[in-house]
Amino acid sequence: MLKHFLIFISFFTFSFISSSEARVYLDINAPTFVQIPIILTKWKSMDKTPPSFSEKVYEILAKDLTLSGFFKVIDVHHLPLTLQEREGVPNTASLQEWIPAGGEILLAGETLLESGGLNFKLKFHLFDLVEQKHVIGKQYEGPLQALRSAVHRMADEVVLQITGEKGVHNTKIAYAVLQGTGKEIFISDFDGANVKQVTQNQSINLSPAWSPDGKKIAFTSYLKRNPDLYLIDVDGKNLQRFSYYPGLNVSPSWSPDGKKIALMIGMEGKSDIFLIDTNGGNPRRLTKGHGNEASPTWSPDGESIAFVSDRSGSPQIYIMARDGTNIRRLTFEGSYNTNPSWSPKGDRIAFCGRVEGRFHIFTIGGDGSGLRRMTSNPGNNESPSWSPDGRYIAFSSNRTGASKIFIMNANGFNQRVLTPSKGGESSPAWSRRFE
Amino acid sequence: MTRKSLTITILILCLGLIMIGCPKKPVVREEPSAKKEEAAKIEAERMAKERESKAKEEFEKSLVAKRTPGIEGEVFESSLLKDNHFDFDKYDIRPKDVAILRENAALLKKYPKVKIQIEGHCDERGTVEYNLALGERRATSTKNYLVSLGISADRLSTISYGKERPLDPGHNEEAWTKNRRAHTVITAK
Repeated sequence: MLKHFLIFISFFTFSFISSSEARVYLDINAPTFVQIPIILTKWKSMDKTPPSFSEKVYEILAKDLTLSGFFKVIDVHHLPLTLQEREGVPNTASLQEWIPAGGEILLAGETLLESGGLNFKLKFHLFDLVEQKHVIGKQYEGPLQALRSAVHRMADEVVLQITGEKGVHNTKIAYAVLQGTGKEIFISDFDGANVKQVTQNQSINLSPAWSPDGKKIAFTSYLKRNPDLYLIDVDGKNLQRFSYYPGLNVSPSWSPDGKKIALMIGMEGKSDIFLIDTNGGNPRRLTKGHGNEASPTWSPDGESIAFVSDRSGSPQIYIMARDGTNIRRLTFEGSYNTNPSWSPKGDRIAFCGRVEGRFHIFTIGGDGSGLRRMTSNPGNNESPSWSPDGRYIAFSSNRTGASKIFIMNANGFNQRVLTPSKGGESSPAWSRRFE
Repeated sequence: MTRKSLTITILILCLGLIMIGCPKKPVVREEPSAKKEEAAKIEAERMAKERESKAKEEFEKSLVAKRTPGIEGEVFESSLLKDNHFDFDKYDIRPKDVAILRENAALLKKYPKVKIQIEGHCDERGTVEYNLALGERRATSTKNYLVSLGISADRLSTISYGKERPLDPGHNEEAWTKNRRAHTVITAK
């Protein structure tokens, strides 16, 4: 199990220079946008810091910025030969030397290892090559085990400077992985690194969902020969059997205040949405009537729940108030719409719809307007889950053969696999930011 | 003895036999018949018992203990209890599977102590949650059919495995057809 997964990490950030006025370079809310070309110059290792340390920092940062989808990263290998070995922070007067490299933004940095390699200091500076000016500089320091997290924070800061909102590089994704005849729950960082196994029980473990504080995961398991709902700490400790009606106890969704869990309970061939307090008490049925209901997802204000119902004869997405009243149908196109996921920004709902026998990711406005199809490959694409900033969607896809976790920008661009694997991953769930 | 005297003797003996036999006819004839019938009955019972014990032996021989890692408890599978299958996205009992369920029900009537769990399974198409619900409905419709054939509901439990436990891991119509099934395991014998 994950013994020391949540090591208490602390480090300091110093912002020692800042721009006179904030400027947003990229409107990422536009349906399409052109990626900003950013030059990443060679990082400088100060004192006796080995060059390999700078290379490691550089690699994590370059991958983060690429994964953000907002940048066209021009790394050292894509610089003119004369600039490849140029390291450290340039002064503003010499910025025009970088113009032949074709970037609009330049990022330079330095590393320093102290205390016999136990502590690090990282410093980065961002320059606007079009206006030939310095934008921001920041320094991060901390113990070595916080390095990856510090670099993610740095990438978040770069994204903030360019887009006006910080990135999600300090988030995690939980998912189920096929192992033998069962499935286990895993988590990884946003960049696919730092993979940890949460369950290790050889059972069938399904549909993970994060608690809003990022400390627990709700999931379904067959441990007691029934699909019961369990809660577990992200380090694999404190397994708790949470809901165990004979029948289905599946598809959990935590309320934004962390006090309730909505789930689907199915008995005698009929399923409904239930609400149970996080302490296990006060179970109540929200949906009544003839239909089968499934897959609840909370609106970010905690006032509404979107869910799937077959009351019209085919599975469609519906929205109701959190007390089960005021039900309205959201999707009318297609005959099979499931897996709704409400954007943390509140404006859109992603779901999985069937088109000509294949499953694809769609998004739709909360008022039913602006239906957009996000995937169009020859595979199946299922289980969408939004990033906490609502700018990305994780989902599973078997477009390359076995099912893998993919990430895309919320406009459908920049679709890429989360982590290289032989496949068998499904049901991704995106955490909130770990601050 | 002359030939004539022999003939007479036989006739007299025969007459005598007839004369002796006549008044006692009901008794004489009934006694061996009742014995025969009783014997036949006993024999039939013995054979029935033998058949039953043979069948029971056959049933018991057919049982295979099944333990699954990560899933609590031991169950048994019997080759005498057959799977029924379903059409894509459907959970109603197909007419061609009625005979299978009648046979399963007959077996359950023969062994009233046996309790079973009906597992609903699906093919890989569709989402995890949707298939869990579909599998639950397949198991339930199979259970309800057995109840309609006279099996007590408290002997029948259901579980849905959705698309999580395919019989055939293939990604084609042949595999899907096999995987859309209700499978029976024995939870008490």
